[in-house]
Amino acid sequence: MPTISVSRLKKYYQVHEKEPGVLGSIKSLFKRKYKDIKAVDGISFEIEEGELVGFIGPNGAGKTTTLKCLSGLLYPTLGEISVLGFTPWDRKTEFLKQIALVMGQKNQLWWDLPPMETFALNKEIYEISQKQFEETLDELVKLLEVRDILKIQVRKLSLGQRMKCELIAALLHSPKVLFLDEPTIGLDVVMQKKMRDFIKEYNRQKKSTILLTSHYMGDVKELCQRVIIIDRGKIIFDGRLSEIVEKFAPQKILSVVFSKEFDLKKLDEIGEVKELDFPKAQILVSRGASNSAAAELLHHFPVADLNIEEIPIEDIIRQIFTGAQIKSE
Amino acid sequence: MKKYIQVLKATLQEYFIYRLNFVMWRVRSVIQLLLLYFLWLVIFQKNQVVFGYDKSQILTYVLGVWALRALVLSTRTAEVGGEISRGDLSLYLLRPISYVKYWFSRDLADKIFNIGFFIVEAVILVFLLKPPLVFQTNLLLIFCTLFSIFIGIFLLFNISFLLGLSTFWAPEGEWGGPRFLFNIILDFFSGGLFPLDILPLLLFRFLQILPFPYLLFFPLNIYLGRLNTLQIFQGYLIMTFWLIVSTWLIKIVWQKGLRVYSAVGR
Repeated sequence: MPTISVSRLKKYYQVHEKEPGVLGSIKSLFKRKYKDIKAVDGISFEIEEGELVGFIGPNGAGKTTTLKCLSGLLYPTLGEISVLGFTPWDRKTEFLKQIALVMGQKNQLWWDLPPMETFALNKEIYEISQKQFEETLDELVKLLEVRDILKIQVRKLSLGQRMKCELIAALLHSPKVLFLDEPTIGLDVVMQKKMRDFIKEYNRQKKSTILLTSHYMGDVKELCQRVIIIDRGKIIFDGRLSEIVEKFAPQKILSVVFSKEFDLKKLDEIGEVKELDFPKAQILVSRGASNSAAAELLHHFPVADLNIEEIPIEDIIRQIFTGAQIKSE
Repeated sequence: MKKYIQVLKATLQEYFIYRLNFVMWRVRSVIQLLLLYFLWLVIFQKNQVVFGYDKSQILTYVLGVWALRALVLSTRTAEVGGEISRGDLSLYLLRPISYVKYWFSRDLADKIFNIGFFIVEAVILVFLLKPPLVFQTNLLLIFCTLFSIFIGIFLLFNISFLLGLSTFWAPEGEWGGPRFLFNIILDFFSGGLFPLDILPLLLFRFLQILPFPYLLFFPLNIYLGRLNTLQIFQGYLIMTFWLIVSTWLIKIVWQKGLRVYSAVGR
């Protein structure tokens, strides 16, 4: 049985629309126009134990809403969810003891007390034995290198330090399923890297199932083998990261450096010239024809250096996001 | 149970950090007391008995109100609405902890701190002002007073918590209007400004159906020996009625509220 299974999940929000201006405000006092927002619109997927899945999509795509449904914060409008065999919104103690949701923008740490106090509180809340608490804490503190800040007031910590402590607070009970909502938001590159390493290591060591959302492709590229792309509440891709390139990028890039000048217009015969900054050029050619196009270049042009490259994943994702938006508009 | 003790302990620690805020809160409370105290002193300069109360009874009442403000009326549940409207409620829903019991634990910490300060202040003020006070010697009446205070603590918690839960539907419940109105009603209807039986009889009768008089006025009147057995029993009945109703309402409102809760703020 899969650890997480979601079937035809829908979550609609009702929001009221207000016409602009004071007059609109007065109108809305008496008569409110309501409108359904389809945050999640019929998505289905399954995740097996120990998988580390990236959940990506543009802002407002429904990622966070899905995570909230999965962790039992929201009642779905329609559809079924099973996480570890539980229905999340029943919020059974046994279920809650096995999951964690870390939100990059919400803190469970007590702002005015040192992180250690929140850890002590979570120890009691999750009914963790003293021995297990000490072991887990020791391990996490070592992995995240935060030993010296455990007794400092949370408000005095930097964002990165706080995020690390948030993670510790969320992982003390060794959850089997971990939902991470933008765990690297606002962190500098060094910290991002550390966070990624930690998540990877944690997934490897504990065999826990992790579903993470992020706006940084770096996170996804480095961590996730499987990616689910969601847009406007619908899944538009679910598969291995490498498949995205094959599926959504019908072209490859020929990166060339020329050795002497020639009639640059001739390059158009090879393919679509994406960038030209003599002596360098980048030419887009269709996937199947990349080899023959390269041979053509080598034969007929003064080539000093040539590379066949894949379009960067960031560009593809950007194309997917904008493409999907254009289609639906 | 241990988790809620831990909540209480952590809350107590918070007070030591916000020392200034807490001291100010207590200063406000002492000023409130002194205002009422001297007001009544002036009234009693010409009269021996006012509204059926003699001087020592009224001064005991005023001091008693002050004590019960610390013991019964002190609550942190005004923050519940904020947590709901900001979406911070999610952080509790994710953990195996009861949100109601969590806040009750915090309230207990608040009461412990307030009473600690109250005792020190009371000793100093009584020593300085030397007011004539009523010392109840009937153990049964003292027990009855304590029992009504005990129920009152839960009753106030329930009412205030319910008000916080209204934020599920009206985000402005966070602070603003509803809370201010509530505080004024609470202060007045519970007998925090003056003993309620000096009001016109009809109004007084009406107030007695509401839960508020049982928070301050009722226990103090038991203590002063102004109520007979029947009246005490009747008061207990009404209190218990409101306690059951409010507990039941919290259950229903909580469940309905979670359905509309949209876990805002990402």
